[in-house]
Amino acid sequence: MKLIKAVVRPNKVDEVKEALAKLSISGMTVTEVRGHGKQKGHTAVYRGKEYNVSLLPKMEIEVVVQDGIVDEVIAAIIQAARTGEIGDGRVFVIPVDQAYRIRTGEREVI
Amino acid sequence: MPATTVERLDAARQELSAEAARGQGGRGALERFADRFDALLRDVFADAPRPPTDVAVCALGGYGRRRLCLHSDVDVLLLFDGPIRDGDERFVRAFLHPLWDLRLVVGHQVREVGEFARLETDNPTFLLALLDARVVIGNRSLFDRAAASLETAHARAQILHSLWQLIDERHAGFNDTLYQLEPDIKDAPGALRDLNALRTIARLTDPALLDRGPTDCERLDEAEEFLSRIRSILHLESRRNHNTLSHELQERSAQAMQYAGDEPRQRVERLMSDYFRHARAISRALEWARQTAPAPAGANLVRSRDGIRFVDLQYARAHPESWLGVFQTAVDAESPVAYNTLAWMQQHADRYAAEDFFPTPADRSALLAFLKPRPGLYARLSEMHDCGLLGRMFPEFAAISCRVVRDFYHKYTVDEHTLLTIRNLERLAARATPGRERFATLLADLPAPELLVLALLFHDVGKWRDEDHASESVRMARQMLERLQLPPASRDVVEFLIRHHLRMSVAAFRRDTEDPEIVRQFAELVGIEDQLKMLCLMTLVDVEAVSLETMTPWREELLWRLYVDTYNQLTIGYGDEVIDRSQSDLADLLARGPAAVSESEITRFVEGLPRRYLRLFTPEAVYRHVQLSRDIQPDHVHAALEQKGPVWELTVVTLDKPFLFSNICGVLSSFGMDILRGHALTNPNGLVLDHFQFTDQERFLALNADGREHLVRALEEAVSGQVDIAGRVRVREQSVLYRRTGVPRFAPIIHCDNHASRRYTILDIIANNALGLLHRISRVISRHGCDVDLVLIATEGEKAIDVFHITADGNKLAEAAVTALTADLTHMLEGGREVD
Repeated sequence: MKLIKAVVRPNKVDEVKEALAKLSISGMTVTEVRGHGKQKGHTAVYRGKEYNVSLLPKMEIEVVVQDGIVDEVIAAIIQAARTGEIGDGRVFVIPVDQAYRIRTGEREVI
Repeated sequence: MPATTVERLDAARQELSAEAARGQGGRGALERFADRFDALLRDVFADAPRPPTDVAVCALGGYGRRRLCLHSDVDVLLLFDGPIRDGDERFVRAFLHPLWDLRLVVGHQVREVGEFARLETDNPTFLLALLDARVVIGNRSLFDRAAASLETAHARAQILHSLWQLIDERHAGFNDTLYQLEPDIKDAPGALRDLNALRTIARLTDPALLDRGPTDCERLDEAEEFLSRIRSILHLESRRNHNTLSHELQERSAQAMQYAGDEPRQRVERLMSDYFRHARAISRALEWARQTAPAPAGANLVRSRDGIRFVDLQYARAHPESWLGVFQTAVDAESPVAYNTLAWMQQHADRYAAEDFFPTPADRSALLAFLKPRPGLYARLSEMHDCGLLGRMFPEFAAISCRVVRDFYHKYTVDEHTLLTIRNLERLAARATPGRERFATLLADLPAPELLVLALLFHDVGKWRDEDHASESVRMARQMLERLQLPPASRDVVEFLIRHHLRMSVAAFRRDTEDPEIVRQFAELVGIEDQLKMLCLMTLVDVEAVSLETMTPWREELLWRLYVDTYNQLTIGYGDEVIDRSQSDLADLLARGPAAVSESEITRFVEGLPRRYLRLFTPEAVYRHVQLSRDIQPDHVHAALEQKGPVWELTVVTLDKPFLFSNICGVLSSFGMDILRGHALTNPNGLVLDHFQFTDQERFLALNADGREHLVRALEEAVSGQVDIAGRVRVREQSVLYRRTGVPRFAPIIHCDNHASRRYTILDIIANNALGLLHRISRVISRHGCDVDLVLIATEGEKAIDVFHITADGNKLAEAAVTALTADLTHMLEGGREVD
């Protein structure tokens, strides 16, 4: 199993969710985050005063999926979240060793 | 004058003088003196020709209380039973002339009984004097009828309210301390007038009050006796109505009152020690009474321990328009509304229709004033809602009372969610939420924040239905706007906010705001900065009122960024978007135009102006501008000046030329006008439209009948170059009223942007607001050979926020020119001398 962590533009969350739903993935964690990659923010001006917007608002989507569909999920996320402009985000894939269900304490089969 | 009258007055004075000289001119002596005067007035009355109308002569104030001192004014009321006729006037003269011949200072009032039906709230001292009135001679029943009007709870509250104010004003004149080295025996804190005020408060609120206070009645009587004796000595010694116990008179008073001591200084010290002891006793009792008695809080309102309440419920029942005043007063006093009053309102509110609560323009204005966001507004609105009053005043709001809409996000009923939005706004107003200063500043900038509150109150009323609640809310709000008869511009703002209250959250949280097209479209929707600010604040407080977790710092940031980008689009980028023939709103403008203005005239005028122009001005204003522009010639000025409340609006149409904007601003400054807001627009034909809102701080226009003509003539002279307007402004700036002193309160900000607009170099300037500022800035710009094509002028508190769109020879400025201009502007704004 893999944990797929995608950092995307806030306005792309709904599209990513829809794309994942088409792959029958409905469970996910969505977090409001701020950060920057190569984009490194930009300078904004308000009433003549410049200020640096270094940390940009993004959404982080986390899903845990079977190894067999990882590539398909990654492709779906990229396709949904992509605009082609700098700042589209990142997808990380992380191996998952174990998983437990909190309610019952059962170890999930991976 | 019969000799006997003079003799009787002399005899009465001699009797009181003798007692005063012995230090015995206390209460008993003053009462006897008042009785002598009563007899004298009866004699004069008997000698006067009988008036055709029934009359009563009443003693007022101190004379009414039988506390007439040797040289006190004799205050009387001549009360007639109906309109005063010639014969009555003859009687008045025949009654008063002998008193004046006796060299008495007579304070006389002449009234008809019918006049007492309306309380003279603008004459509080007369009202208080009436409380002590008594009939000396004439028809007693007249007085009883007049006095009945003072016996209502409403009148009592009004008189108490006036008394409170008079006490405060009088004490302020003595720096609020009773420890005066030369005290005024009548007016100083702790002196006779305070004692009388104390008794009046008890009489109007709770006669048993004095029995419970820190100073018992016997002790107060003793203090009055002491002060009266001294006052009699002061009148005797100074031979006039003089009440200041000066150092010199302290010695004489101590001697007359037979204080022990070998030296005058010792006797005086003992006298003054007694004085301060008595003054302290009175002062303490008065302070206690003020804290304990229900405090007058407004017309027919008092503040009790449990909150604001009506005094006279019968009056309140007959005047539902007075109900809002309870909540307004409660907000002002930072107090709740008393439970009993809320319960009474709940019991009676359903007798009235919405219109009954706001029948007059003044009542409707009071509602808008009440809705200004500030601490306590949410709590009071909640009280109004809980007792059913809000739903009677706004029947539309009743539709969402306890309404449950099940969705994933909302945690409260629709009515409570609505009221919470207002609470969130009032917290911004109080700057009570850390990290929200930037939003708080937007709220502080709004010229009419009450419209935002009105929009919030109605933004979700359409949720009584399950679909498309925004449209339904607008429909319902229109009914309310119709009832309140708001001006069309204000109605438009409220409707706009309600209709689009979800648009900014959708754009900020669900659209790619990095995309300039999204921002441009959103700017197109909001149109002008004030609407943007209101919509931004509405979004903030609306989302926050959904649940505790909904408005995260992350979302705040997204919202703020959209606000900033849109604001910049509106103030900086608007110059690139001009009106062309294909525009739909131009078609509307042409279709609605009056017969007096032709389509070609309108098109010629507006074509090439920024599209923003059609958002800033109503079609009616546009037609007026078109008419103003007719037959305009070089150096001519066509101007319209009108007053809107405290603000004046000046519209100027002329043809462009160097230094034009600077000269027009200079004219306003040379008259001492403070420019608050404005726009300067230029169309491709060189036609200039400048629109200013300013305050006339020196009241030049109000005080001079021909002030308007003066101002317009000065504009013509300045534009045609007949006068040196810069010189005039310099003279005005040197006035002691306006002289700029030292370093500005905050460093000016100048930001020059050559990229934000395709056509213009944008100059953003934030500086201390000062007389002539716009004139000086635009002069520097013109001196650099630049044309001022568009200007936005705003003032927020001490800050002037001005955005200039400039060009040189029709193009944006070269970088070197930007550097040079910025350096000169910085030099000027930092207080440097202008270089010609």
